[in-house]
Formats: sequence, C-alpha cells, structure tokens
Amino acid sequence: MAFARWVPGPSRPVLFFLLKTLPLLVLLTFSSAAPPAASSPAAVHNNNWAVLVCTSRFWFNYRHMANTLSLYRTVKRLGIPDERIILMLADDMACNPRNNYPAQVFNNENHQLNLYGDNVEVDYRGYEVTVENFLRVLTGRHESAVPRSKRLLSDEGSHILLYMTGHGGDEFLKFQDNEELQSHDLADAVKQMKEKHRFKELLIMVDTCQAATLFSQLQSPGVLAIGSSMKGENSYSHHLDSDIGVSVVDRFTFHTLAFFEKLNMYSNASLNSLFNSYDPSMLLSTAYYRMDLYKRALNEVMAR
Amino acid sequence: MMMPPSTARRLCFLSLLLLLLLLAAAASATADAAAAEEFTEELLLRPLPDRKALAHFHFRSSAPPASAAGRHHHLFPKAISQLVQKFHISELELSFTQGRWNYEQWGGYDPMSTNNAKPPGVELWAIFDLPLAEIDATWKNLTHTLSGLFCASINFLESSTAFSAPRWGFKLNEGNLRYGALPREAVCTENLTPWLKLLPCRDKAGIASLLYRPSVYKGYYHSQKLKLKSSQSLGIILDQTLTVVLQPNTVSGKQLHSTGGQLQPSWSMEHLFSKKLSGKCLVSKSSRVFVEIEKGIVDNVDKAGSDVSSNNDLFVLSTAPDRSLKELDNLEVQSSSLYEYDVNNYNSDKPLNVGITWKLPLIWSCTRAPYHASRFLMGSGNERGSIAMSFLSTGLDKQLVDSSNDCSIKAVVFQVVPWYVKVYYHSLEVFIDGNSKAISEVVDKIHVTPSEDKLLPGTMEMLLKFPCSMQLATLTLDFDKGFLHIDEYPPDANQGFDIPSALVSFPEFNSSRSYPEADPLFVSPLLENFKEDGVVKSYTEVLLVPLTTPDFSMPYNVITFTCTVLALYFGSLLNALRRRIGEEERGLKKAALVRELQFALLQSQSQMLRWSTIYFFCWI
Repeated sequence: MAFARWVPGPSRPVLFFLLKTLPLLVLLTFSSAAPPAASSPAAVHNNNWAVLVCTSRFWFNYRHMANTLSLYRTVKRLGIPDERIILMLADDMACNPRNNYPAQVFNNENHQLNLYGDNVEVDYRGYEVTVENFLRVLTGRHESAVPRSKRLLSDEGSHILLYMTGHGGDEFLKFQDNEELQSHDLADAVKQMKEKHRFKELLIMVDTCQAATLFSQLQSPGVLAIGSSMKGENSYSHHLDSDIGVSVVDRFTFHTLAFFEKLNMYSNASLNSLFNSYDPSMLLSTAYYRMDLYKRALNEVMAR
Repeated sequence: MMMPPSTARRLCFLSLLLLLLLLAAAASATADAAAAEEFTEELLLRPLPDRKALAHFHFRSSAPPASAAGRHHHLFPKAISQLVQKFHISELELSFTQGRWNYEQWGGYDPMSTNNAKPPGVELWAIFDLPLAEIDATWKNLTHTLSGLFCASINFLESSTAFSAPRWGFKLNEGNLRYGALPREAVCTENLTPWLKLLPCRDKAGIASLLYRPSVYKGYYHSQKLKLKSSQSLGIILDQTLTVVLQPNTVSGKQLHSTGGQLQPSWSMEHLFSKKLSGKCLVSKSSRVFVEIEKGIVDNVDKAGSDVSSNNDLFVLSTAPDRSLKELDNLEVQSSSLYEYDVNNYNSDKPLNVGITWKLPLIWSCTRAPYHASRFLMGSGNERGSIAMSFLSTGLDKQLVDSSNDCSIKAVVFQVVPWYVKVYYHSLEVFIDGNSKAISEVVDKIHVTPSEDKLLPGTMEMLLKFPCSMQLATLTLDFDKGFLHIDEYPPDANQGFDIPSALVSFPEFNSSRSYPEADPLFVSPLLENFKEDGVVKSYTEVLLVPLTTPDFSMPYNVITFTCTVLALYFGSLLNALRRRIGEEERGLKKAALVRELQFALLQSQSQMLRWSTIYFFCWI
C-alpha cells in the first residue's frame, strides 16, 4: 500500500516543508483561526475538541489510565476546556482500594505530578465505556435523553484530537476485556463524521500494541493518524513504580508528554517536530504515522 | 455606506443610553431576586469513640419561588433550578458514598447517622409532581441528566430492572416516588468537582476550601449528598452535605497517659485537611464551624466534677469558641454540647484552626439504634441460597419503654432485590431468640412486588413487631439464582453481582436533637435539620452474590470448531467427487516414459552426431 513508504526521515524535503508550516492541532487556540478567504466554501477552524479513551479495566492496567489522564491534563493545560473534552475511563484507579495514594494518579515514579488533580470531569466511566458508546460519541447518534456533556458537539470547523489507549492487536482495539473495536468500524465512524461535517481535521493517536493497524482502513480526507507501533510490534510500558506496584506509563505516551511539557499555550511548534522527537530505540517500537489522507487536505488548504 | 459623523454620534449616544437603561432594569430585577436568595455554609466536627474524627460540611442554597424571581439567579445554581422545573420534582435526594457507616462505634440514634449514613455507591430517590403515568419516563430522563451533571453512571438506573416504587417502606407517598441504588458505583474526585461547582464560592473560598481531596478520599467513610425540596410557596431549598470520617494523623500518635490509659488523638483542622480556614465565602449569609461533644463525653466531664466549658479537665479546644449551645432533651437534662465559631471573625492573617486536645484518657460510646440490623447470605453453590437479616438488640429499648407483655417495637424493612436473584417470598421464616415463630405473630403488614425476569426487581416492604424483651431476631428468605444472557454480563462478571442495601427504620424512635439558639435571626440550617423529626434509620450491608457465569470464550471456540468441521467435510467431499485414484499415477508413469524416450532419443541423436563427425573426418 502506498503509505508503507512514508517512514519518518529526512528523505522527503517538500513534504516536510509543508508539515513544518502546520501549527500543532492541540495548541491552536480559539482566536487563531485561519484567515477566511472571501470565496472559500470550506469552514474556518474555530474550535477544538478532544476525545480521550482508556479502554482497559483492572488494576494492572493502571498505566493506560495514567496515559489518558496525562493527555487530559496536557490538553487542558494547553487550552481546551472541560466542556470540549470527552473523557472515557473504563475503571477507577484513583479511588481504587488498591491505590495507596487515594485521589491521586501518577505517571512517573517520582510522584511529582498528580494527574487527577482537583477538577477532573469524567464523562463516561466504568461499564459505560463500550464500543457502542464510543461510536455513538464519534458519530453523534445518541438517544434523546443523553445529556450535552456526554456528546461530541463538534461542527465543520472543529479540530478534534482522538486518543485511544489500551490493549490492541492486528486491526483491533480491545474494550474492557470483552469487546473489540475493529479498524473498519473506526474507519466507518470517521467516514460518517466526515459526511456529517463533524470535523475539519482529525488527529488520531493510538498507543497500543500494533497500533498502526487500527487506522489502516481509513479513507476520509483530513485525517492524520499516528500509532505507537507497527504491525507485528508491541508497545511497551516505560517504567515500573515499586510503590504503587504496577507500571505507570507507556513509552509512546511518555515521550509524547516529554515533548508537550516543554510547550505552553503560545508555542508554535509543529507536528513535524513531534514526529521527529520519536526515537525508535527509546520507544522499542516504530512510531508510525499516516499522512496520505491529510496531505490531500493540506494541499487544498495551502493552495489558498 | 457612510453616515455623516454628527448623525452617527447621536445614534451612538442614543444606543448607549438605551443600553444603560436596560442594564439598570436588569440590575434592579436581579437585585430583587438576589435579596431573597440565600447561601449558608457550616462545618461540624465531632470526635468519635474509636480514635477517629467526623467532619460534616453543610451548604444550603435557597431560591424564592419561580414566579417571584423569574429565571435569573444570583447564588442559586441554575442547573438545579432548571432540573426542578423541567422534571417537576418536589423532593430529590442523591448520595454518593464509599465506605460503611460503623453503627456500633459512630452511633445510630442521632440525626447525623440517620440523615448521613448512606448505603455504599449511588442512591437516588425522587418524588415527582406529575400524573402517575408520566413518572417512569420522567425518571429515565432525570437519571440521564444527573449522570451528565455529576459524572457518574446514574443512567444505569433508567431501566425498569433498576428502580422500584415503594409506597410506605421507604417514605410514605401516593405512588409518585421512585427509588434506585447502584452499589458498585465508584465515587472519586470527578463526582466532587461538579458538586462543588454548584456552590457560589466553589472550593476557592469559605469552608469548601478545606476540602483537600487526598484527605477526603483517604477517610474511612465519605458521603456527599444533594437534597432538594421544591414547593410553589417556599421555592427551592438545596442542601449539599459532605460527611467524612477521618483518622487524624497526629504526631503524638498513641500516647500513654500517666494513669496507664491511652489518650484519644488530639487533632485539629490542619491535621485533618492540611489547611486552615482563612475566611468565609463572601456571599454567604453566615459561615460557622461547630464542634459537637457527645453526651457520652459530657457525662464523663460531669462525673469528673467540672462544668462543660471549652477548657475543662478532660479536653481543651484550641481556640475559644464564640458561643456554646447545650442540647435539651425531653427530660430537660443536658445531653450534648455544641461550640460555635463564627468564621466572619477570621481571615487570612488570622486563620481559624479548630482543634481538640485531650488531657485524660477517655472511653465513651454513642447512642445506638434499638436494634443493630445486619444482613448476610446463606447457602452454597450456584443454584440457590438464602438471604438472612438479623436484628440484635442493643439495649436501648430497655431505657425507654417498660417491659410489660404488650410492649413491642416496630421495625420497617425495605429491600429491593434484582431479578436474577429470584426470591421466594413464601419461604419467609422468622426466628426470635432461636425459636421459630409464625409469620402472623411478627409481621404486621407486608407488601411485595415480585420480580419479573428482565423486567422488574423484587421489592419487599415489611412492618415487623418485635417483643421488647427480645435479644435476637432472624428472618430468612430463600432464593434461586437466575441466568443472564451472555450480553448482559458485565466485563468483570466473575466478581459477582450486588444486592443493594436494605433499609431498616424504627418509626417509634425519633432522632432529633434540639439546640436552642439564643438569636432567633441567626437560624442555622444545620441545627434546623437536627431539630427535624426524623425516624431512626439504618442501612444493612450490600450483599455480593456469585452467579454462574458462562465460558466467555465459547463463541470463539464454537466458531473455530464449526469451521474446522465444515472445512473437513467439504474438503473430503470435493476430493471424493473430483479426484480419480490411479489416474494420477498412470499419468505420472506416462509422463515418465515419455521423458525417458525423449532422453534416449536425445542420447542416440548425440551419439549419431558424434559417429557422423568421426566418419566425416576419416573420409576427409
């Protein structure tokens, strides 16, 4: 397939020049909308959303919860408010009876940062994190009684970050040990989203084993996807916290955070620098990103 | 199109004037509404006999009737008033609890345990002001709205298998009450965050600023509750309470007194919450901290000979209180004491840090309910079992009632059992002090809604009459374990399934505490709640029932086996139909012969060529 050739490296100067001029999706604030062209039918970017999903249950999957909460904290810190974040956590780690530090979740054994904080809002928790609810959130097809805080109310000017973590494999992501989300389910949902004009640009980040296979079926333009490992590779955890007793963060998310912690709301880093910061020897897997769909949309934007 | 500058300026001035007028009108409207909306915050601290401390936060917001104030709110949370208007709620209580209230040690008779000891998980009940036919649909929408508002899975109470409609076992009503409980719901910071956002000062100022989350969730029991009452005449009254039982981490630890006894731990607000109180919420009408000293301690102080002031032989409070109130019970004998601190007098330069230091070792006990109710499972195996409920007399009744033959103590039991635990209500047996009694002797009134598979849970409301001299009563009910469809099992099905707590109330016993206040203008909502007539209530334990779980890998196994069998069948069939045995071998032999001939021909050809060249050269 065509995208198999897109491996990170300095061999595509034109493409990387284009990427270098792209501001980071999650760092765009409301005010920095692209200048509207008078005759453009395409929408202007005017809001950001984040959908953060942790699909694993049980205490030994603490690191998946920590991954998701790290992203949650980063996304909140860099400007997206709780009303625009849909956080789905499949289990409760912070107030779990096994947690020695109640109401605190750490992603590092130095315990410097309490990810749970004082103001966390979880939209879907426990048994509610199912494939059905996840697809309903993405496509917006809910029952009438579902409240607004549990809906993804994006429109055609939205940039959405979709982050998923958990256990996965070849073309699937496991939900709570008894269900699977398949790559074509995800591709169908994204296609529906595109047809319903529910996003302008979508960034999918997946941190599971064989993550790249999960977005192999995507076809909608305007989607950029990055996975922590390629087909046949596992994604590994970063380190074990002897105090809590389990691994507290995964390698891919750890390095993603290391990149983001250096930034603030006004930085102008680009996705390219993020992608260049992934070192396969540190990750013990190859961070893989798929840009072919995005490149088409990018060309259209840059031409104006 | 450009207007001449003078017209533009005039237009600008007129629009500004209009805007000012509108603002003034709005301000006056809100000022009228604001004058009637009130917010008070209170904190009650109480030492407990088992070396722990109880902290009870109480926030009350009240809004005047909608007709007077319109839709503008100054202090009252708009989300709640919209909720009340949309769903026509007249009363609602939603509690999130983790931990079990220890009735033996922390008391079961006072208003604190009656109102704030809640079953673990989420409990929701609501009384609607609607025709009975519309209530179920409204309940469903209410559960969804609350789940979005409080970040909890309250929407699981929407289906008819999860809620029930008791008539008199829980609260007397005409059929417009719905009750539901989720025993396994986790309670954590994400439930506290929106709860705090309903307060005008949130957790930034006032008493709520003490809530250090790790302290709250490290406690032995924490329960946050939202209770609202709405009426046309009084408007909406919203009470938010948070009850926490903490183990104070003091430096002194277990101190031995010179007499040899162990001192109770001395603690202060800083020990409990790692923070001091640096001022009140500026929009609150009153902000107070109370320290309650129970009857048991007061009796000991009296025995020691000193009078109960904040500094006596047994204990001393770290800050001198502004006022002290004494409870008067029916016999006009002083029971508990309450010391009051007005947070208005403290600010960030002089923060308030209420604490208690014990001087002498002391053991006391809290008043308990007449019977200690507990519930447990009997039986083994995955087919059937029994639910047993026991009532152990605590000796309270002997003080209050005489022991004549006609004396009896009433107890009301309310229990909801999910449909997959199929209770046989006809198998109810009662044992009093070990002897089996006829049902008609003990059960005065019973109302049962039997469960229907996948439709309704089993609800039981019973009024029991126990003789006063009884020591122990046990009720047993047999049940069969049902089967769920494979899709209905939760992801961690092997843990088991929960039967929510049963509620036992004693209608003849009144739990109220009256602290007469000197100032009639400064009525404290907390003390008002204490004065309310409430019956003594206690919740039993949650029961965990292991059900038979299917082998969840079977669908995969079935598909694998079936596909293998089909592949073998069709493979063999095709082989049988299409393959000619022997033809292959004959074909191979023929091919081999042909190849040999060709080889031989080639060889002979090459030989002939050789001989012909030799003859040719010879001939030359």
